[in-house]
Amino acid sequence: MTWDALIFYLLGAVSILAALGVVAAANPVHSAIFLILCFFNVAGIFVMLGAQFLAAVQVIVYAGAILVLVLFVLMLVDPDDLPEFHNARPVQRIVGVLLGAVLLLEVGLAIVSRTVMGQQGNATPELIALVGGNTQALGNVLFSQYLLPFEAVSLVLLVGVVGAIVLALPERLGAGSPRRGTISLGHPRGADQALAAGPAFETPIVQTRLEREEAASLDGSRDLIMVSDPDEYTTIGKRGRVR
Amino acid sequence: MALTVDHYLFLSAALFIIGMMGVLIRRNILIIFLCVELMMTAVNITLVAFGRETNTLYGQGFALFTIAVAAAEAAVGLAIILMLSRRFRSVDVDEFTILRD
Repeated sequence: MTWDALIFYLLGAVSILAALGVVAAANPVHSAIFLILCFFNVAGIFVMLGAQFLAAVQVIVYAGAILVLVLFVLMLVDPDDLPEFHNARPVQRIVGVLLGAVLLLEVGLAIVSRTVMGQQGNATPELIALVGGNTQALGNVLFSQYLLPFEAVSLVLLVGVVGAIVLALPERLGAGSPRRGTISLGHPRGADQALAAGPAFETPIVQTRLEREEAASLDGSRDLIMVSDPDEYTTIGKRGRVR
Repeated sequence: MALTVDHYLFLSAALFIIGMMGVLIRRNILIIFLCVELMMTAVNITLVAFGRETNTLYGQGFALFTIAVAAAEAAVGLAIILMLSRRFRSVDVDEFTILRD
């Protein structure tokens, strides 16, 4: 067994074990840290495949940026809200593992019985070394043939950033939080008596005789009415009722 | 035993299927998000391995675009998760039934 194969099996075994840890860990923080371990091993796999630039990007973007963002979000989520892993539905687990096994079998058969080979390009390792390395060669491809997709990706990132801000901060962008407050409809002593028989614009809703008597029976003490919206009281217009 | 592209493809398939099982089994939306990221990385391994097999750089270019899109997806997805956890006081996917009801 050559060193290449040995390193590959080491990286692959650790990355698969870390991936299993992501799925099996009860604590989401442990899951995120297992995923960082997995991504570092995948970066090693990229180096073995001759994609050094991609390995660096993998470490910087995935392990550096995305996972740190996930850990921040984990801090913002209340730990009491996290559902327990162990009350997952058993049927769900069995079906999930079964489907995974079936798919692995199918994909394995497809890989083993694969006969189609792609058309050979000219980016052999010797030629890449001649150009000046993987990063230079990838840059040549990216800024000549893939220039338009490259610009489109920058737009996608811009829209993603704007979308994230719009989603995360709705209050400041006009969605508005519901107003809450208390209004006291108490009047100075004596005003209630005047109001009971008072002008019509003070009581926009037509009062029944019973309500008028009820209002008249109030002894002028202050009524404290709790409403979520000040307009609610005036449109409903029943004085003295605590809603 | 020489190292062929098939080895990398098997590794990629294993990682992808572990991620898929996580999406199917777990109920915490954050873990599901992490598993989706794992699946994307597995696809990147496949792309780079095929690029290596055919001696082209297109696989690596595609993987780079995948990583960029994954970064945008992470920003938007985490913002959605944050809003869901604020509104429902939960990150359990079984409780997000507002579109179904």
